[in-house]
Formats: sequence, C-alpha cells, structure tokens
Amino acid sequence: MVFNLSFKKEGYTVTRHVCPRNCYDACGMLAFTRNGILKKIDGDPKHGYTRGKLCAKGYSYVQRVYDPNRLKYPILQKKRGSGQWKRITWDEALDIIANKILELKSRYGSHLSMALNKYSGNFGILHYAVEGFFNSLGPTTLAVGSPCWSAGLDAHFYDFGAHKTSDPENIKNAQLIILWGINPAWTAVHSMPFINEAKKCGAKIIVIDPVFTTTAKKSDIYIQVNPGSDGALALAIAKILLEKGLYDKNFIDKYTYGWEKFKRYLEGYDVEEAASLCGQKPGLIKDLAEMLGSTKPAFIWTGFGLQRYVNGGQNLRAINALGAITGNIGLPGGGVHFAHQDTWDFNLNFLNVGQDKNEKGKSTRYVNINNFASQLKNIEDPPVKMLWISCRNPITQDADSSKLLDALKDLELIVTVEHYLTPTAQYSDIVLPATTHFEELDVVPSYWHHWIGINEQAIKPYFESKSDLEIAQLISKKLNELSPGSCNFPYKIKAENILDGLFNEKIYRMLDIKHWSELRESPQRADIPFTAWKDRKFKTDSGKYEFYSHNAKTNQLPALPVLKKGTNCDLKYPYRLLTPHSQHGLNSQFQNLRCILKVNPEPVILINPKTAHKKNITENATIKIFNNYGEVIAKAKISRDIPSDIILCYQGWFPNINFNLNKLTPGLSTDMGEIVTGSKGIAFYNVFVDIEKI
Amino acid sequence: MAKRLSFLVNTEKCIGCHSCEMACKNYYQLDPNIRWRKVYPLHEETFTLPERNFMSLACNHCAQPECLRVCPVGAYTKRKDGIVIHDHNRCIGCRLCTMACPYQVPQFNKKYKKVEKCNMCFQRIDKGENPACVDGCPMEAITVIDLNSFDELGTVEAFAGFPDPRITQPSVRFVKPQIGFQVRRDR
Repeated sequence: MVFNLSFKKEGYTVTRHVCPRNCYDACGMLAFTRNGILKKIDGDPKHGYTRGKLCAKGYSYVQRVYDPNRLKYPILQKKRGSGQWKRITWDEALDIIANKILELKSRYGSHLSMALNKYSGNFGILHYAVEGFFNSLGPTTLAVGSPCWSAGLDAHFYDFGAHKTSDPENIKNAQLIILWGINPAWTAVHSMPFINEAKKCGAKIIVIDPVFTTTAKKSDIYIQVNPGSDGALALAIAKILLEKGLYDKNFIDKYTYGWEKFKRYLEGYDVEEAASLCGQKPGLIKDLAEMLGSTKPAFIWTGFGLQRYVNGGQNLRAINALGAITGNIGLPGGGVHFAHQDTWDFNLNFLNVGQDKNEKGKSTRYVNINNFASQLKNIEDPPVKMLWISCRNPITQDADSSKLLDALKDLELIVTVEHYLTPTAQYSDIVLPATTHFEELDVVPSYWHHWIGINEQAIKPYFESKSDLEIAQLISKKLNELSPGSCNFPYKIKAENILDGLFNEKIYRMLDIKHWSELRESPQRADIPFTAWKDRKFKTDSGKYEFYSHNAKTNQLPALPVLKKGTNCDLKYPYRLLTPHSQHGLNSQFQNLRCILKVNPEPVILINPKTAHKKNITENATIKIFNNYGEVIAKAKISRDIPSDIILCYQGWFPNINFNLNKLTPGLSTDMGEIVTGSKGIAFYNVFVDIEKI
Repeated sequence: MAKRLSFLVNTEKCIGCHSCEMACKNYYQLDPNIRWRKVYPLHEETFTLPERNFMSLACNHCAQPECLRVCPVGAYTKRKDGIVIHDHNRCIGCRLCTMACPYQVPQFNKKYKKVEKCNMCFQRIDKGENPACVDGCPMEAITVIDLNSFDELGTVEAFAGFPDPRITQPSVRFVKPQIGFQVRRDR
C-alpha cells in the first residue's frame, strides 16, 4: 500500500506488547492487526515511561516480522558453514536433536556434553524455558555470566549491596545531571525528555565520554576523557571535594562505612597525575568538583560502556563514591544510577537444576560465557559435543570470534533458534525459526524503568516459527517418546499456566494486580520507591554505603575505590578501538532490516582528521584495522567525534558484509562481575589496533 | 488562504533518532527504500568544533510549490490550509517533480513507477490529530503550526545546510540548535 485515502483506525485488532530486546527502555507497544496481518505499531500511551513513543527500531517492527529474509522453516545444513541448506520438517529436526541428546547421554553417561549459550536477544520471562529444558535434564553445561554489565553490577553490590535506580522521571528534579559514559540520545531515547525538562528548569547537563556523542552535543558541558580513566577523574574530584570541604558530613557520618580510610587514601592522591591520566587539566577538575559539591541534587547516570574495561568495576566504584561523598544518594533527583533488578523477582524455577537420579555425583558445569571458546576447547570428561544457542549471536558478539569458530569445529551438533540467518545461524547444523514478540505470549520487565508489560499474541506464528517455550516442550515430548522418562520438562502445560507459576504474590503486590492477564489492560508500574535508597538502608553487610568493602577484599579486589590503571596502547598497535552500540541496531539485531539499511547502509570506521592526515586516508577510502587477532575492512569516515588516538566502529551485524569487530577483541576480563552474574565481564574496550589504507 | 500549515522542527530538541521517519514509514507501511521524512546529520566542515546537528525534513508544503508548477498532469494540489497533496492515481511517474523540488521531497517508487511524498497526514489533520511523525517523536521536537498566526520569534526559515528558502517559500520553520561548552583533550 502506498497511499490509501480510505485509511481508518477502526477495523484493527489492537494488542499490547513490550519490546523484549536488551535495551534500557523496554517500550510499551500497541500492535494493530487486520485479517491476521500485523499492519502497524504504535507506542502504548498507557506506559508511563515510554509514553506512547517508540524509537526508530521500534517503528520498524512490521518490517522485522515480515522481512523476506526471515526464517520460515526448520533448516538443516549439509556441511557446517557450506551454506547448503535443506528445509526439514519440525519432526525431522526434533528427531535429529532428540536422538543426538540420547546418544550423547549413553556415550558419556550424563548430559554434560550438551551446552547452552543463551543471553539477551529476548528478555521475556517465558524464554527462560530454554534454561528450564536444560535443567530438567539434570546436570548439563551452561554458559553463565554476561558480556554486558557484570563489572558494574558487582561494583554496585560492593558499594550499595543491591541494585536500585530511581524512576527515570526523577531526573526532572535534578539541578545537575552528569551523564557519565552514557548516550541516552541513542540508547535510551525516552529518558532524554526528562533530561530536557530538567535543563529547562535550570539544571546543568555534563557529559563525560571519550566520544562526542549526540547526548554530548545536547549537554551544557562536554568533557572528553581518556577511555578507562573515569576512575582517575572521579577520585580527583573526590579529593578536591574533600580539600574544599564540599562533602556532606552528615550523610557520611550517618550512612557510610570506611570514610576515614578512604579519606586517608584521598589525602595522598595526586590530582596532577590523575589529570594527565584522563587527559584533562587540573583546573577543569577543580571546576567540576566545585559544581558537583555546590549543586544539589545531582543525578549521576553511569553507562555500561564505562565498565567494559579491565578496571571498569573499580572506575564505577570511584564514581559511586562521589554520590556518597556529596550526600546525593537517596535524594529525589540525585544519586548514582546504573541499572536495577527490583522488578525481576519472578519464580524462575526454570533456573534450578532438576534432580536426575541416574547421575549421582555429577553437577552442572558452569562455563564463563565471556570465555566460552577457550572453555569449549579445553573442557573434558566429557567434552562438549552439542551446543544449543538461543537469543544470541555469539559469532559476532563474543570476543575473539576466530577462536570461537575454531572451538565450534569439534562439536557434533549445533542448534540455533533464530529469526534470521545470522553469522551464528550460518555456522549451525540446524536452525529453528523463532517467533517474535507479536506471535507469542510473554511478560517483560526492564532494568532501567519500573514498568512491566505483557506480550499478547497478535498474529499467528510466521510460517512454521515457534517460541522458545514451545520448542523446549516439543523436544521434551520427543525425548519421552523415544525414551520414556528421559526428560521431565512439562510439555503438556500451556504458556498461560506456566506464567501463572512464574508470577508470585510479591510481584502481584508490586504491580497492584491480581493476575498477570490484567496487564492486557495496561502495563503496570511496580510499586517501588520513586527515589532509590530514599531510606538509606543499604543492603551491604554494614547496612551502610561502603567506601570500604570487606567483600571486595575477600574477592582479591581493593577494599577501597582506589585508582586502578587500565591498559595502554603500544607502538605496534597505537590506536584504541571503541565499539559502542550503534544508533540503528541493538547488538546484532535490527541492522539487517531493509528500512534500517536505507538510513545506515554500511559499517564505517571513524577516524579523527589528524589520524586521517597522518595515514593519508581520505573520506570513504577503504581501510583496514588490524591487530594480532585479526583484521576488519570498511570505509573510513573522518570525524571529530573522537580524538586522534581512538578508532571507533559501531558494533552490529550487517548482512552480506564481512564486518566482525570482535575478531579484534582479545577478550580480556573486566576486574569484577562474578558475584552478581557468575563470571567477569569482557573488557571490550581494552582493544588496540593499527590502521592502514588498502 | 485560510491557513498556512507548516512543520516546526526544533533542532535543539532533535536527537537525530529517526523515530519520526520510521513512525511515518510504520504508519503508511512505505516501501523500505522510500522516505517521506528524512533525518540526516548536517555537514560539520564549517564549524570550529563538531556540532552534531540534524535535519528532519518531510515535504515543506511550500507557498510556491515547484512540484505543483512542473507537474504535467495536475497530480499536485494545494489545499486551503496549505498542505500540498500528491494524487497517486493521477501521477504518471514522469519524475519532473523529483527534479524540480529543491528539497528532493517527491520520491520515485520503482515498484509502482509513480512518485509519492508526505501529505502531512491530512486525513489525521482533518480529524484533529497530529501527523504520524509528530506523534512518533520521543523528543516532541516536531509540531504543526499555522504560519498565518504563528509568532515566528525565536525561529528561523533556514540555517546552514538548508536550501535557499527564496525559491519555493517552504512552509517550515526551525528552532536553531545551541552549542554547549566542549572540553576536548585533543583537537
């Protein structure tokens, strides 16, 4: 349809949805369906945070559902990586998978040779059915951890004892907003109006980021720091706050632990050295400290990129300390914000390993998702022979993808559940088509705002696609047909009844509903304090905000948020490579859609004009970035968004273009992460490269 | 003319997120290659420091529409409220309008072999609703104003990167972007 004068709002069936991607905003959506076809999407005006608006990706969902490249049927690859695919029936696919599971069980005496690699492609709670299926088999091999936010979560655990955020609307009450390593104009657009509103009421906006982002452009003051030096800057500010007496003595005395020790550390801290580490002048740091020390409330929002360094967790602890020193924590419009986990208290029994009477003495093997390739290669007794991938595209998103490809060679069966033939799907034996959140029932919380909403089924599954839950149930059924009693994953229960079991009194009370089906009327805001830590009852062992953390010390980390330096470039690879989220995609999702390709057709390598001059590179020249691990080729874009020692590429998956940035990522670990997520994060930004014109 | 409806784009508020463009595409389910509204970054070469400003442009519903003037089959009409409408049924796909418009607004659809463009969601306007792009913008940076009664103080007809408004007298106004203070470690 191009131009239809008879367009009417009437005649549509409207259903409620929540975008389930790994995104701050988790937007409320309305789907408009006619004759069983999804016709358009709208923002859900009843969602108090996203308020009826979507981002460009959200408005592209009809395209995403009906994209001609979307997978329609289960397919089998003749030889892995050959690209020779054959359509098979669901029954054939299930037969191959179930027989392999049973054969491996009899070969090794357990299901430990089966591994699962799943993460954030869909955060709907029914998608935990995949873990549920694995756990129902008894001990298996499970990838744990998060490539995303682990170090920051641990930093907050050490300092606060839990993860809480104020409602984003709370930003409106701020007098000073520090957006530290976060670019909401790209990654959380619905928070930007609150920032603007605060600005209108006189708040000053400071953006601290190595990259001149769109958010930086919208700020009053933009400070370009050296990547990974945020801790050095925060501690220098802390020292000046201390020297000038600009700290909140009452807050520190009443609500913090370890101030004396931290104070002694700060007394010996060298501001000049810190300034040179972060590429700033001491005078500027003084100005910043004075602004922070004299403006209340100050709302500090720290991003995820900030903690993707070998010293990321420690840097975050230093920034958190600023919130405590100035007594901003617990103030409306104040505090230090990262992410929360307050609305995720569902009965996730799926995550509990089931009892398998035949396997005494064996327990589930947890392998670090961020070191998956090495572990896959080295794990023995039994080795991993079958891999299940869902809600993930590790070949583009994991560090050192060459190593991963190599490790996958030894596997006998790789099954990927997907919407599209991603690089990971392309390297699988069987690909099963997955439904979208318009084709399945689900419930989705957020880690930033406090709303929870439902995904109703708006349309029938696209061709033969199925949900993760249904797939888990089908294999369970098949396993029991082939070998009765071999799998106790409940395959006769409807999704509705499983949701009944996932909800509990606490969540219902929080949402002020009696049954999840009420979410069909409206998404609900969870009844948690509008201002995080308003009661200043911290969840740490001391019950206070901990400058000094015994837990950190126990985990071989500095007890105090002391300066920890990152890694630097060397002569061989003199440029740091930053690979933040792109504007048009979410990790490896969305960028493959035609309407998105229209506005962002190909990947580019951003280089500073000075670097371009030095290397004799002109705009749009094809250039190569490389290091010991690999190389990536793309067109150069000359940009002053970055300084001359940084090369920037936005991460993502472009179809039919060989552009895998993680070939260059060695996969160093962040300093923290194992407490909250089970393993350390990936230091995605401790990557150094050289560039060359080709 | 009773009204002169126009888009007012607040480029200070605009974050270049493309939501307006995609909201339009979503509402009309346009061909993926067709853009009735376009968001693009402005060239920065003329600035001392990068500004990162964006232009969000749909049809400007000009007072002197070149598309209407050059169309040999009368596919274009200008309503009393100023909205320039393109009639898909009359269009023969000659593409004269695509060459005449200084803003490259009319787009040629290869599938239908006809031109199409933004009609300011006139059906929605007639119902008292906002155009899809206006409702879709998370920053509320786009509004529809009536230039005959709008107080233009604080707005401009054009700024760097926008074609000369004297040609067609576009019914579009902008709030100019402001620039903050930048502390760079390397210039």
